[in-house]
Amino acid sequence: MELLRAADLTKRYGEDAAIAGVTFEAAAGEVLGIVGPNGAGKTTLLETLAGLIAADSGGVFWLGVALPPSRRKAAMFYLPDGIRPYQDRFTIQVLKFFANVYRRSTAEIARAVAALELQPVLRKRVSALSKGYNRRLLLAIGLLAPQPVLLMDEPFDGFDLRQTRSIIEVLRKSAGDGRTFILAVHQLTDAERVCDRFLLLAGGQIRGIGSLRELRKQTGIPQGSLEEIFLALT
Amino acid sequence: MRSPKSGFASTTSLRPLLAKELAEIASGRALWTMLLLVCPLIGYSFVQAVSLYSEASVAALQSPAAAATLSPLDGILVPTFGSFYVAVTLLFPFVAIRVLGQEKESGALRLLLQLPYRSSTLILVKLAAVLAAWAVASIPALSALAVWVILGGHLAAPETANLLLGHSLYGLLVGSIALFAATISDSSATAAIVALAATIGSWVLDFTLAGRSGLSAWIAQLSLTQTLRSFEQGLLSAGLVLGILAVVGGFAALSSVWLPPGIPMRAKFARSLLCALLTFAALGLATQVRTSLDVTEDRRNSFAPADQELLATLRLPLVITVNLAPEDPRYIDLRRNVLGKLERAMPNVSIVLAGSRQDVGGASDTYGQIEYVYGGRSDMSRSTSPREVLPLLYALAGAQPPAAMPGAEYPGYPLVANADATLLWFFCCLPLLIALAWWRSRKPPTVKSLAFEGGQP
Repeated sequence: MELLRAADLTKRYGEDAAIAGVTFEAAAGEVLGIVGPNGAGKTTLLETLAGLIAADSGGVFWLGVALPPSRRKAAMFYLPDGIRPYQDRFTIQVLKFFANVYRRSTAEIARAVAALELQPVLRKRVSALSKGYNRRLLLAIGLLAPQPVLLMDEPFDGFDLRQTRSIIEVLRKSAGDGRTFILAVHQLTDAERVCDRFLLLAGGQIRGIGSLRELRKQTGIPQGSLEEIFLALT
Repeated sequence: MRSPKSGFASTTSLRPLLAKELAEIASGRALWTMLLLVCPLIGYSFVQAVSLYSEASVAALQSPAAAATLSPLDGILVPTFGSFYVAVTLLFPFVAIRVLGQEKESGALRLLLQLPYRSSTLILVKLAAVLAAWAVASIPALSALAVWVILGGHLAAPETANLLLGHSLYGLLVGSIALFAATISDSSATAAIVALAATIGSWVLDFTLAGRSGLSAWIAQLSLTQTLRSFEQGLLSAGLVLGILAVVGGFAALSSVWLPPGIPMRAKFARSLLCALLTFAALGLATQVRTSLDVTEDRRNSFAPADQELLATLRLPLVITVNLAPEDPRYIDLRRNVLGKLERAMPNVSIVLAGSRQDVGGASDTYGQIEYVYGGRSDMSRSTSPREVLPLLYALAGAQPPAAMPGAEYPGYPLVANADATLLWFFCCLPLLIALAWWRSRKPPTVKSLAFEGGQP
């Protein structure tokens, strides 16, 4: 069942279109991967969806009803890439701030901490966290946020293989509870592991959309990996 | 299936947001650095002020007339808080910018903007945190007041509270400008340049346009330093307070417009224009509010109590036509000694300024004349002293000059004291306490976080 739909989203910077006519939908409990190389427009698409960037044209619909940018934060929570929030504060303080805003219980904070294995750094300042732990902190904030859709930019950046698998497990469990994830990923192997469907983006335009099986059918590569399909479509 | 509104209470608590803002200010270096710098600045000013006050008091102790001229407001409070004013002008923008600049630079702002708060709420809470930061920064100045009392000095509560109100409004004004600068700037460094351009630019305006008339005088009125003058003179002016609040509100509204990134520039400019128009309208209305109170113990901004009582009963319109240029020292004297006091004492006073700069050289015979019209009768004077103007007014009104009320004279508060030893407080003890508080604020949280370490509540 369609939960969220983006219709003909376009964002230009001067003459250049960062994204052009992007249309797709996401269902409840689905993990949708926005896949593309650097500069494909993945971050612009996520920020436009979240209402942090004003789209030049197009719209976003929630259960078929138009969702203006001012109301998007009630439906979606966006975790940007490369941010290190509240660096002078301790990890536990940052978590508790978001938990208190969203009226999360101590038990819920504890569950997020346990799921993302943040215990060793709770009393560390955010500025002292490694890239991986900073990423986990962001993901914990995302898990504490109550919005039905979580948008994540490069969620596996900074993780090794074992950590990536662990995070994938956390995301899949949350998706199993009905939460929708839209992930911008440039590592195709990671995307293939976690996503139900893929939106292949290059040059700001959609080059393909569907599950791996649908994309294989679309490209005529029956046993092709996501990497091979992506190369075939772009 | 969760709807977009699930998880969002209609009224999200502001407490975590305010607590976060306060903790953010306390965890940064800007506030603590400012506090440490303010200590010696305030201490030196205070000790110098006490020294001068004591010198004047030695002679005043022998003469009641000389003693009556010694007011702690002028002698101690204004100079001590004067150095705090300098610190707020030059250093406080850095503290205020931090409440937003850090979040912008770290990317945390993009998370903050997704929380269930309006932009205006975020800005107002940040402004509240800025005001709290100002209160913390004023601790050295407040401690100087305590030291003054310990030395045996006198403080009149209304005039002290009025001065504190003035400085807090000035701090809020500087804070709101800095917050707006942080909103429109990409980095804290740029924001600091913008904010200091406004605060230091005010000084330049003040110096270069002082004593000018016309448009220059109007522009000079926009100087931030003007906001404190009335409070330092012991006047609580409703129009000034409302005007400052209108400007603070205007900057807060502009910050709210420019904070969210997902709004097209054209819409932001349109909303900014609306904010500016509303602020100017509010400012215009505030200038029409003439109500002001003389809160000084020596009643320097009022006539003698007997005159005040009688003037309050003169309810017909009094029209005063002044043939003096605004920059003429005689007009400044007249304004301070007579006109301002009359406006506060009488219910219906209109002042017409008929002189201009061209008349200063004496080209016109009428230059310097002041005409008073009351109840269809008029009289002329060139005096700027209430001793001559008040009898003239009573004559116009057909009233008998009142007899002086005994015991209403201000006694003055001479004090001979040596405050040199208090330098130890301002240069050592207080900075040490501040450093200790800073160190304490940087300690990691303990007890409550233990609950999470095992993954169990």
